[in-house]
Amino acid sequence: MKRTTLLTSALAALLLMLGVAAAQQSGGTLRAAWAPNPVSLDPHVTSARASYQVFENVIDTLVELDEDLNIVPSLAHSWDVSDDGLVWTFYLRENATFGNGRPMTAEDVLYSHERLTDPETGSGNAYLLDNVESMEVIDDYTIEYTLNLPSGTFLSNLSKNKSVGIIARESVEDGTIGSMPLGTGPFVITDFEPGVSIMLERNEDYWQEGLPYLDAIEIRIILDDSVRRTALISGDVDWVISLPPQDVEDLMDNDDVVVDTVPAGGYWYIGLNLEREPFSDERVRQAIAYAINRENITAAATFGLGEPTQDPIPSTSPWAYNYAPFEQDIERAQALMVEAGYPDGFEMQIMPTTEYGESIRAAQVIQADLAQIGIQTDIFSPEWAQWLEEQGDGNYDTYVCSWNGLTDPDDFYFAQHRTGEVFNFTGYSNPSVDELLDEGRRESDQEVRYEIYEQVNQMIVDDAPYIYLYNLAEVNAYQPYVQGYNTRADQVIRFTYTWLDR
Amino acid sequence: MTLNYFLRRLATLLLVLFGVSVVAFSIIQLIPGDPARVVLGTQASPEGIAAVRARLGLDQPLVTQYVNWVGGILRGDFGQSLITGQSITRSVTRRLVPTLVLALAALLVGLLIAIPFGTLSALKPGGRRDTAASIFSQIGVSIPDFWMGIMLIFVFSESLRWMPSSGFAPITAGVGPFLRHLLLPALTAGLISGSIMTRFVRSAMLDVLQGDYVRTARAKGVRERSVLLKHVFRNATIPIVTIVGLQMATLLSRVVVVEIVFAWPGLGRLALESTLQRDYPVLQATVLLTATIFALMNLITDLSYVLLDPSVEYA
Repeated sequence: MKRTTLLTSALAALLLMLGVAAAQQSGGTLRAAWAPNPVSLDPHVTSARASYQVFENVIDTLVELDEDLNIVPSLAHSWDVSDDGLVWTFYLRENATFGNGRPMTAEDVLYSHERLTDPETGSGNAYLLDNVESMEVIDDYTIEYTLNLPSGTFLSNLSKNKSVGIIARESVEDGTIGSMPLGTGPFVITDFEPGVSIMLERNEDYWQEGLPYLDAIEIRIILDDSVRRTALISGDVDWVISLPPQDVEDLMDNDDVVVDTVPAGGYWYIGLNLEREPFSDERVRQAIAYAINRENITAAATFGLGEPTQDPIPSTSPWAYNYAPFEQDIERAQALMVEAGYPDGFEMQIMPTTEYGESIRAAQVIQADLAQIGIQTDIFSPEWAQWLEEQGDGNYDTYVCSWNGLTDPDDFYFAQHRTGEVFNFTGYSNPSVDELLDEGRRESDQEVRYEIYEQVNQMIVDDAPYIYLYNLAEVNAYQPYVQGYNTRADQVIRFTYTWLDR
Repeated sequence: MTLNYFLRRLATLLLVLFGVSVVAFSIIQLIPGDPARVVLGTQASPEGIAAVRARLGLDQPLVTQYVNWVGGILRGDFGQSLITGQSITRSVTRRLVPTLVLALAALLVGLLIAIPFGTLSALKPGGRRDTAASIFSQIGVSIPDFWMGIMLIFVFSESLRWMPSSGFAPITAGVGPFLRHLLLPALTAGLISGSIMTRFVRSAMLDVLQGDYVRTARAKGVRERSVLLKHVFRNATIPIVTIVGLQMATLLSRVVVVEIVFAWPGLGRLALESTLQRDYPVLQATVLLTATIFALMNLITDLSYVLLDPSVEYA
């Protein structure tokens, strides 16, 4: 029997409080500039990072990740696991209250997780609970999950993102779930003007005593990179979600603003359509992997902020493998092309999107690199809605995209690469990888898991359905008087402990 | 007579709007992309897409969707956003005010430029003032508005810090903040509009200045000031009003770019966002509303001729 206690959470809270300087001041409104546009605010339906980043301040999960990416209690103050690893019992805190003043109980947890997994909802995150066989409310503050197999990832799935968060059924019933979902978080959404602004006000009944410090957060959606930068420099906003990459270095030398950057749990990659010739041939994929210069791509796409990589997990993660078999080698690439029967190369299309300028800049370097081995690349960059459709329908040769907010190795490999999984867009299938991925999910000894995923990582990188380009950096910037805020590797944006020193 | 004319114009207007509704509804369906995929993002399974499409009613035949939509509008209900579930009537009315404010302010800026410049250059065609005005208007027409906006932000917000760089403040937030937020966007849209109108005002004034009655007035010794005010300006109002009407209508679409640069919460940005998100009913509502304003502007322009020129009569 394993049981974490209140002590852990108290300790975590204490450490966080020590992290910020002594006398926090309560009150004030933080003016935050956001981008891209958080499209839908229904936590069970959207998968947009910009929406999750809003939910971080509004919705709580049973367990969550702290700044060092350890799983810590949140709405559940403690939990038990049965000896066979199948029954998980969560004990909920009794003082959590929704933004409308109604106390949260186990029924709300059941409701939220049933809605998430209901096929009618259509959630792309339902998979997070797909090994749950049944859920049962034991009493108002106890809920039990029975799994069909022991799981090494269940707890981490419950902290993954706010799609597993607990919401009040009232916001579903009155139709405001897509714009003002009600959670138990430190803030409540009081107004949402899509594409313009989101107002968050303090949840007066928040379960953490004395928090949050801020009265309100005024989120302004400013899509243009340079306008957002100017808004920060001219003092129109207190905090910005990102900066134009070309300006980051300059602003780091500017004492009037704080540029807060960390390597993030995410990566950019080229996805290859394995259901099409010639990408079905692994020699062709490897030739592409050898032909590209990741340093140049990273420099062009991120102005040096990213870190070139050949496998997905960033070198700063405890799960890093740093497997790198594909240093640029044009001769080797050419030899592979000859071997595969394409001595004169071929024509192909690469699909970045106008939604992310860096994907287009990366594609331009890739185009030049591939020309060296005779591959004529045509860059097709549709806007986001069309990109989603073309990519979702498998109507592409190659595309450039990213995965974000990943922490556990299962996040990096399973949904993208296991045979037939919904996010396996490339059509990759390797039975040995599948077997190891399943094993990694069942295993709860994290050292054994490290070794399992090491093999997975090697196989996937060698098979090259994805060609990894670089790990990204998360950059937030703010005024020096914004205190108690830290940019996080999991790209979570949380203002619970933030206060204004002025 | 005039009432009859008015009713006929109104009937034509309704017919035009019906046409607009059909076109707006059908053209949008031709753009590749699917709102269900936009809602779900990259994590969309085929089953998920089907479930969301069914919930949004997108699995129904297009004709049914059209009839439902128009039926709603006739009851005064534009429906809900496919993406956020919010009331479209509310979104559109919230966005209409900032756009009208911006377009009117830009028109005002434009007229403050066009009338003096156009008049001065018409008085002595080919003279120094005329050349200066035509260089100005040539530059104004050539500058892209997004660039102009960014330059104004750079100078007045970032360097001088006189104005906020973006956003909108309603008049209820105070006249000071309202004007400070409005000035840069209004200048951006207004300078270009002014450059275009300068040319129209110039040619309208030139036409009138060459009229026989102006020569007569001058010949009988009327002072130049009176000639201009009583004879020239009055007669030039009709072409100028026409331009103003047209400019107001084009400004409503031109401000889209300005709204984006200045993060101005107007109708143009709503149209752009709903296009990018394939939020069909929101886009349809903005198109229909803009078309209505456009048609009304034309109607008002035409009707104002009667007031301005007694010799105009509608039959």
